[in-house]
This record gives sequence, structure tokens and C-alpha cells, in this order.
Amino acid sequence: MAESKPMNPLEMLAYVLSRQINDHEVVYIGTGLPMVAGILAKKTHAPHITFVYESGGQDPIEGGMPWSVGGPETYRKSPMILEMPYSFGQAAMGLVDTGFLGFAQLDMYGNANTTMIGEEFTNPKVRLTGSGGNNDVASLCEKIVFVGIQSPQKFVKKCDFITSAGHLTGGNARQESGLLGQGPIAVVSTAGVYDFEPETKRMRIKTLHPGVSPELAQLASGFELVRPAGEIPVTEIPSEEILEILRHEVDPQGFFISMPGA
Amino acid sequence: MSSFQFEYNQEAVKNLKIEDTSILDRLVDYRHAREARHKKDHSQRDKRMSLSEAVAEYVQDGDILGYTGFGYVRTSLQSDWEVIRQGKKGLQSIGSPNTCQSYGVTFGNTPYTHASYAGAEMRGYDKYFSDNIKSGRVKILSDWSHGLMGLGFKAAQLGLPGVFAKSGLGSDLVNYNPYLKVMNNPMVKNGDPCVFVPALCPDITFIHVHAADMYGNARFFGPAVNDLALAGATRKLVITAEEIVSNTDIRWNNKGVQIPFQNVDAVVELPYGAAPGYMPGCYYWARRWWEKLFTMMSEGQEHMDKYVREWILDTKDTRDVLKKLGGVDFMINQKRLAKAAEADNEDSGVSFKYEPWTPNTPPDVFD
Repeated sequence: MAESKPMNPLEMLAYVLSRQINDHEVVYIGTGLPMVAGILAKKTHAPHITFVYESGGQDPIEGGMPWSVGGPETYRKSPMILEMPYSFGQAAMGLVDTGFLGFAQLDMYGNANTTMIGEEFTNPKVRLTGSGGNNDVASLCEKIVFVGIQSPQKFVKKCDFITSAGHLTGGNARQESGLLGQGPIAVVSTAGVYDFEPETKRMRIKTLHPGVSPELAQLASGFELVRPAGEIPVTEIPSEEILEILRHEVDPQGFFISMPGA
Repeated sequence: MSSFQFEYNQEAVKNLKIEDTSILDRLVDYRHAREARHKKDHSQRDKRMSLSEAVAEYVQDGDILGYTGFGYVRTSLQSDWEVIRQGKKGLQSIGSPNTCQSYGVTFGNTPYTHASYAGAEMRGYDKYFSDNIKSGRVKILSDWSHGLMGLGFKAAQLGLPGVFAKSGLGSDLVNYNPYLKVMNNPMVKNGDPCVFVPALCPDITFIHVHAADMYGNARFFGPAVNDLALAGATRKLVITAEEIVSNTDIRWNNKGVQIPFQNVDAVVELPYGAAPGYMPGCYYWARRWWEKLFTMMSEGQEHMDKYVREWILDTKDTRDVLKKLGGVDFMINQKRLAKAAEADNEDSGVSFKYEPWTPNTPPDVFD
């Protein structure tokens, strides 16, 4: 029975990310785990959220799990299907509350890289996908939440390439650069949930997942995590019921939430 | 060419190691593009021709080729494949996303890219594209976000020299894109940095639609992505359509008419022109075909060469491709799935479950 299987880290990520979504918000959904979390949130605690996708679809009726942010499930009987510049325009205009994004590298100020790994742009170790809509969502939405696996290779001192601006060099740098919105407000990783210290805009531990100590979280980071005074709360884990919804209704094929080789 | 002398973002030119910037000019030479559109015969006339005729006539070596649709959704794949079959060379690819450039790279058709997104979303990045960047078989001329590139097309469609945007600021995109410049909003005295995005004018664009008349008035539904903008931005435009309808039909069912005929050079009747991808409400994508493709992309050059040879060079046309994908059974099944996916038909009882492609999947199973 699937529901008796222990929860895997990707399921935990999807659940914790879904908890970052407030009911009644308009949310910009990036590809991968954000789609899983968005659909889970809609099926559980946030039934009135509106999804916006960069290809032009928004507010679909319930359907399957999209393969991508352009698939039919992103505009299934949508009241309105737009085009890309209008879709991002809504975020710039102030009509989107929160954007949800993945990353390949993230630094302590919430700047993200999805472009390339290596020293030299023209001869990279790996050329990744490129920005896609990542830069636009990060630049234009009011609030940004990042999600991804945490390791010292992913939580880095310096991104090899800043695809998407977060808080740049911290402090007021984002505002001074001319960017819109508050920028990143949270990061959900396999170790915990982070927010950003209001003055320095450095990533700060908010909660840690069960079994993760602050020392362990630090070991899995290439930069120093800000540790708040006092006890650090443990991240809430999903109930059996929510895991069941996640496994049977949200991602029944396990495209996003099954661990490779599991 | 027009008399413009362009002043590119010098930092980006240096970072991208572009020695001769004249290769960058045509994309942003909106006066030249205007002249090309102006010179066309603007009369309402029968523009129907075959796909091979349209590609032969309207794609020149060295053209900037605009990619349409969204990766596997309403993308003009069958036209793009015909471009490869005809061995066009020295192309630059541009599109958001421009995932499909990988096929063009395989046979050396597309040595240049204006990069935005290459990958398969949930299936990860495109390792083949990565290898080709490293080996220098494809060179990045400019690096974009989807939103910024989309604004460049939109500016061109609206007849503007460019727009001021709020994406890209503070990021490295502005250091690796010769076309982008951080500038102050001239209306604001005490500082409002913006990114100037010039109008982007590809040479040739294929757009696959649900229906068009013989003049090129066209309608489609589903996400427009950048295609309305590209229809105006491009110098040459080929419309491929699931069906050619009468002008009366266009006039009487005009709610979806989105592409006006003037800029259209050729109209091609091309059922399944988006296969093996998805056509909204018409046919589902061949899921295992794509999964196999992503696997071949990770396996490298030799495997990609073989896969693309098998599907593109060794097929004659779209009908051949359809036969290979599973023929009548494939077509009936994919129609059913698409209608159910869009809630156009009753979807209870229609299963989307399938076994993802593995090397053990029978060689003729692609749906």
C-alpha cells in the first residue's frame, strides 16, 4: 500500500511548500515541485487560489498533473487564456501575490542560478536550462518562495551565474536596483524552511525538518545560515490523509514526488 | 540593411566573445524588417502551397528562425523538421522556449542561438544542448529570460523600437545579452532603473494554427505564448493549419481570429503539424516519443544523430511520421486524450495512465 510507505524528502518538500501558499492568493507557478505544491494546496487548505502560468493559461479547473507550464492542464476550461507578455505583465502590474520557483544554485541573499555551472560562460561545466520564466517571476512578483534540494553544491557562497535576482547584495540592494516587489520571502529545502533577516536580507533558519539539527543544516550549506536566538521549531509534517491526497490525487504517476531509484 | 549602426551592450559582447557583431544586427534592425514587410504583395490572394514549397521558398541559409508554441504544445514541429530535411544551414534560433533547437543542432543546421530555455521541465535540462555549447557546435549570441524576449517580440508587433522592462535588473542576463541595456526611466528624475529591450524581428517564423483561410487569416486556441507577437514581428511568416477554411467561415466564427493575413507569405494545409507534440483540443502528445528523445539527449551525440535521422531525415513528410507513431490507432487515441484533457469530452473513464518509456518499451510504442 502506497500510503503505508514512509514519506520521502520530495513529498515533504511538496507539502511544506504547499503550506507557504495562502488561500485567496494569485500564485505564479514555476515548473516541477511548485506545480505539485500548488495543486496540493488547492486540494487542501487553499481552495480559492488562482494559478497563473507563463504560457498564458490561468485558473484552470481541476485536471491532471501538467507535464509543463504549457500543458492542457494549465488552461483546462480557463475563463481566459492569455499570452506570455500579458501573463508576466500581470505580475509586474501588481496582480500576482506570490511566485514559486526552483533553482540549481541559491546564495544567501536568495539570488538563483538556473543558467550554467562553471567558471566560464562560453565553456561551462554544464549548461542548464537557462532562465525560462525564472528571472521574470523573481523580478516581478510581489513575494517569491524558492524550493529545492539543499546541499553545499546548491546552497552556494556565490552563484556561478545570477539568473534571477533575489536580494542581490543584501540590505536595500534589491530596491536600489529598480526591481519590483519584496523579493524572496522564504526558501523551502530538504533540511528546513528559511526566511530572510529583515535588515541584512540574509537567509535565516525558520524551522527545521524532523531529525535535522542546526549543525546538520549548516553542513549542507556552502554559506553561513543565520541562526535565530532560542529554540528552532520543527517543521510540521504532513498527515497520513494529506500524503494520501499527494500520492493518489496530485501526482499519482509519481513524476515529481518519487525518489529516483525508489 | 538599414543605415542603423548598432551600439550593443559592450560588456555582454566581451563576455560572449563575439568578434564580429554584425551577426547581431538583423534581429534588431526594425527598419529593415519594416521594409521587408512593406515590399510584400499586400493583396488578399490565394497563398496556399505545400510545406516543402514553403520551406524551399521562404527559409534561406543564415536566417533567424523563430520558434513558436511552447516546447511540445502547438509547436510547428513538422515545419521545423522540414527545414532540417531540406538541409538549411547557418540558422539562428530564437524563441521562448527554444527547446526544439536541439534537433536543428544535430545536423548542424543551427549553429547560433538566442538562448532562453532549453530543457524538458520535469525531465530536467537538455544535456545534449549543454554538450553542444561546450563543444562550440552551437554558440550563444544572447541569453534571455522568457519575459524579456517576449517583450522584444511584443515591441516589434506593436511597431515600437523597444520597451522599458522591469525584469532582468541585477541579474547576469544583462551581462550576457548584447541587446539588453540597463537605463534610467527618462520620466523619473531621481532614478528608476529599467532594462531596455529592443524590438526583435526574426527572419522566418512558422506558426501552427487550428484554422486559416487561403489569405492567411488564422485562428487558434490555447495559450498564445508569443505567437501573436511573432506573427507581426517576423519578416516572413508561414501559417500551417489543421484545416483551411473559407473566408466566410473566418468571418462568421471570428472570435478566435488572431493573426491577420497581411504579413502571411504562405498558407499550408498541414493536419498534425504539431505532432508528435500537443495540439489543443485536437491531439495529445506522444508521451513516450518525448521520453525516448530526452533519454537520447542524455546519451549524447551518436544516439541523438540516430534518433533524429530516424524521425526526421528518414521520413518523407508528416504522413510518414504519423504512420511511424502508430497510424490510425495513434490518431484516434490521441484525439480522445486531448478532448478529455481539455474537458471538451466526458473524461470519466478516460485514463491518462501509462508506463513511461524505458529501453524495454516495445520499439513501436510512442503514445
